[in-house]
Amino acid sequence: MAIKRTTCPFCRNGCEAGVSFDGYQYQMEYLKDAKVNKGKLCPRGNSANLVIDHPKRLAYPLLDGNEIIWEQAIERAKSWLESVEPDEMAVAYSRGLSAQETGLLRGFARFLGTRNLVCGHIEPESCFNYRLAGTGNATLDDIKSAQTILLIGDVFTTSPVASGPMIEACYADRKSRLVVIDSIKTRQAGFANLFLQVKPGTEPFALMALVGLLDKSVSGIDVDRFTELAGLEPDQLRQAAKMLGPGTPGFVGSAMHLGRVRYPVLHSLSSQLVALKAHKPFVGFSEARLPEGLMGFGQFRQAVDEDRIKMVFWFGGLYPYSYPELFPEMAKVEHRVCTSIFRPENTLPGLVLPVPSELEKESIGYSYWGKIERHPLASPYSGTRSVSWIIGQLARIDEIPEELSKPMGMEDVLKMATRTAEIPKDKTDNWLLVGEKKAIGIGGFYDDEQEIFVNPVAAQKLNVTDENFLAVESPSSRNEFRVHVTSAVPDGVLSIGVNAHSNRALFPIETDKESGETAMPPVSVKVEKTTATARPAPEIKAMEF
Amino acid sequence: MAKRIILRLDYCIGCRACEAACRSRFKGEARIRYGEITETVMVPLACRHCDEPLCVAACPFDVIQRDEKTGLVYQSSFLCVGCRSCVLACPFGVMDENLMRGISQKCNLCNDRAEGPRCVATCPTGALQFVEEAELTEKKVGVGFVVRSPGRRRP
Repeated sequence: MAIKRTTCPFCRNGCEAGVSFDGYQYQMEYLKDAKVNKGKLCPRGNSANLVIDHPKRLAYPLLDGNEIIWEQAIERAKSWLESVEPDEMAVAYSRGLSAQETGLLRGFARFLGTRNLVCGHIEPESCFNYRLAGTGNATLDDIKSAQTILLIGDVFTTSPVASGPMIEACYADRKSRLVVIDSIKTRQAGFANLFLQVKPGTEPFALMALVGLLDKSVSGIDVDRFTELAGLEPDQLRQAAKMLGPGTPGFVGSAMHLGRVRYPVLHSLSSQLVALKAHKPFVGFSEARLPEGLMGFGQFRQAVDEDRIKMVFWFGGLYPYSYPELFPEMAKVEHRVCTSIFRPENTLPGLVLPVPSELEKESIGYSYWGKIERHPLASPYSGTRSVSWIIGQLARIDEIPEELSKPMGMEDVLKMATRTAEIPKDKTDNWLLVGEKKAIGIGGFYDDEQEIFVNPVAAQKLNVTDENFLAVESPSSRNEFRVHVTSAVPDGVLSIGVNAHSNRALFPIETDKESGETAMPPVSVKVEKTTATARPAPEIKAMEF
Repeated sequence: MAKRIILRLDYCIGCRACEAACRSRFKGEARIRYGEITETVMVPLACRHCDEPLCVAACPFDVIQRDEKTGLVYQSSFLCVGCRSCVLACPFGVMDENLMRGISQKCNLCNDRAEGPRCVATCPTGALQFVEEAELTEKKVGVGFVVRSPGRRRP
């Protein structure tokens, strides 16, 4: 049976995956000769065959939820284009596009005469686009020969396959040391020789204190204050600094998760600064890397809210952020055109155009370790049209290559950290809700997202056990969860999975006034034990094939 | 020769890739599941392919059988009537309680695949391994690892 090979598009580790077709169904093949992953795949990679022929794949354009033919859809988009001024249009893009396609979108925005080009990938990990001058990129050999590893955030969940060599490095040579900085005791923290549990969202302060300890010559870092802000003991950081000192090979890896990071830009830059001061290479672990737009997402959201945007083109595949619960302001926009792989549920009226998934396209991209090529695993799903075809129908344009922004200097980071530390922290008696990737899968293929993690002490305070349900109310939304009592979260903190859109909606989007970057930080919520017997335990259903 | 799936608990990061690989092959049905030991340690649970399987004894229609040569306990799902006797009989609780297609599900060590089970092939850290039974007894692999660090990763 012929095996088609490609590089997995679901994170940036560059794992090679294969798919075979036996005339009836697609099956995953594990390629032992693959350079990066040796045939290993994470849950996301394993579900590639399910994405290709998923029963919910969209095969017709939709207008207000009704199926139409492509000619009608293009005609409608053209007529909308003519009725709107260039300033009132916006072009947004999220995950699922190749570098060539985002280049085309830049050309498309220029053709339309609008500067409203927005990167709609609002995961904090997009802030790894901010680079610090002087920090080197880690290679695969750095990971394999590492003796000192510093991980910030849950790297094992972001790229599980990359964690294999790290664990091998730890076990092969018992001298290897793993330091983890995180606000929740994740499974990754179970492997750590030193686990620094910081207050939710304060990782950058712990990192800045670490910079101060690693390089005493840097002025303007108040180590004690930063240590206190992060909720750590000075001894813990001193021990970490001792482990990380120059001389031993190793690397610094950082990951950011929605609902867990309060200052994503500073998080990215301070991780890189620690790597620089510890003389170690750096990797920013992320699921996707998208180029920056001409307009920040925060500004776009404000423009939509103030009725300055009349028409939005939203390109991207797997996670179209046009879901009403995430972005309710979108209802104010008159004309919406978005692309999707799956048939959207509960979406706003407008045009939805079916596009092939990343697994059905040829493209060139960059993994953590270098340049990669992707080949189609299957022919495009019946009825879909590529993004370049759609744009070609609306305009005659060329790609515009991405322009990388200038790397920042150490002084900028120090200023940013000092400014951030001065922001007053509101003290409330409420519970702090953080987001976590409990189990990874595409769009909640495998996971049960209805659980909330509660500390045993907190469970006593709230008078709940594993059988009870908690209603969680944040400023933006409300949801109910089944309680799971565990000491993985500290007292006063509750944690939920953030793959489901209804869970993400609990975290209101905050915009940084200076950088224009958006964040969905940990949020203070009101909780209440629900009196009703509540929802029954979720029933796992077989895929509807 | 009989081969078995073994777990090196020290290496498991609880990513559930094994479960995903199983679901990916069997269209949403996982024949390997996981349990939680502590907040940071998870343990994948799969069929042990017992020497004297209770599911075989419990099955009223001889749908589940044991291959004496390979030690594989397999199920002819076409004949299963979904009576749940095997689910109740299994002492390890690895048979699924939810009968998704109206029949029970049973790990067959991916006997359609020459290279061995998919969960082992996909395991990102090499925690799951597929080894000869003789080798298993010789090295006491599975037992040794669990006992050396119960619930704690690094001794």
